[in-house]
Amino acid sequence: MDISFIIDSMPRLLPGLLLTINLSLVGLGAAAIIGLPLGIFHTEIKSKILRSIIDLYVFVVRGTPILVQLYAAYFLIPMTGLKISPFWTGIVALVFNSAGYQVEIARAAILSIHDGQREGARSLGLSKVQTLRKIVLPQAFPRMLPALANEASNLVKASSVLSVIAVFELHKAANAVISQSYKFLEMLAAQAALYICFVIILTQLSLWLEKRYGAYAQKTWDNR
Amino acid sequence: MLDLNFMAEIAPDMAAALLMTINLSILSVLISIILGAILTFTRITGGVFTRYLIIGFVEFTRGTPPLVHISIIYFLLPQFGIVLSEFWSGIVALSLIGAGYTIEIFRGAIESISEGQTDAAKALGLTRIQGYFLILMPQAVRRSLPPLTNELANVVKASSLLSVISVNELTKVANDLIFVHFVVIEVLIELTVMYLMVVGILMGVSRWLEKRMK
Repeated sequence: MDISFIIDSMPRLLPGLLLTINLSLVGLGAAAIIGLPLGIFHTEIKSKILRSIIDLYVFVVRGTPILVQLYAAYFLIPMTGLKISPFWTGIVALVFNSAGYQVEIARAAILSIHDGQREGARSLGLSKVQTLRKIVLPQAFPRMLPALANEASNLVKASSVLSVIAVFELHKAANAVISQSYKFLEMLAAQAALYICFVIILTQLSLWLEKRYGAYAQKTWDNR
Repeated sequence: MLDLNFMAEIAPDMAAALLMTINLSILSVLISIILGAILTFTRITGGVFTRYLIIGFVEFTRGTPPLVHISIIYFLLPQFGIVLSEFWSGIVALSLIGAGYTIEIFRGAIESISEGQTDAAKALGLTRIQGYFLILMPQAVRRSLPPLTNELANVVKASSLLSVISVNELTKVANDLIFVHFVVIEVLIELTVMYLMVVGILMGVSRWLEKRMK
């Protein structure tokens, strides 16, 4: 293996890594803005129709490959007359995908809050909105964090798919170097190492959050 | 409106591609289950070195995107003189990715079985291999059925990535149809419905198994 070639090609790989990080974080953030409220909404509303619509959305997201969702964004967005760059097409696909998973994350966290908490809030005379805002969500949010960190590392991996619509993220950048130099081994090793580093950081973050807020959840359980 | 005639016209091609996807997924999952069981056994019984080797393998498969694994199998193996067809490259890549996940599934299942079972196996005079395959594994496999079904659903989705090495599975065929006929919405709807059918059934079965075990 030609280590010096790997070092020489870093100026071309690192922008790819940066774009990958960029894509995943922007995707995660935008998806959180859409997905988490939808998940909270899903647990709070009575309307069966609205709930089934959200359920259907989650089912479609979880039931189809990210590649299909990406192709859908790639072909369908231009049909509406909008012209957006591959980067934004990719963001749309990632957000569509991740928001669906985040609906489930928010839902699971809220459903894990003990019923007694709601009953206690009610007996204290809090309204439904107050209960949600002051009692349920402050306890549910910490429980979402480990799952969200996990979702972040899923997005990092999913963002590699954007290479097929010519977004120059890490995988595409490495492929570009390969197609000029034919150094398969070096470039595959380098990109794998970069991906793994980033994902391991996120996994450790998730473990740390789990430890920290897992303890928090335990405490509230005991004080209940 | 939707062109239903066109959707019916492409249905045979799409169905054949769906079969290919199912074929790929089932074959890969079977191989990854066998590989996963063997590696889990090695991990439990082996020395420190093999243990870390397997942990490294699991971290690698779970920490890098499937597209990278597919590239490794498809582009790197020929460099070492191993030339596989697209189909078999796909199978190898999906099986290796799957093995990384099944090892974790088996490990979780085995850890959930009480220590007493291993002790009992020892007390009955079974060897380690016998204890593993006759006592632990049958219970672990039962417990890991729901996550394994879920894994099959994940592999069905991951198999779409094989379109980049031109395996004629569902996504590749649908993409080709879009470029040949310039019909987008009909093809995408049919593609989505086909994936949803297969993955939806698998997710449902997984949930049903999970409920039944409780």
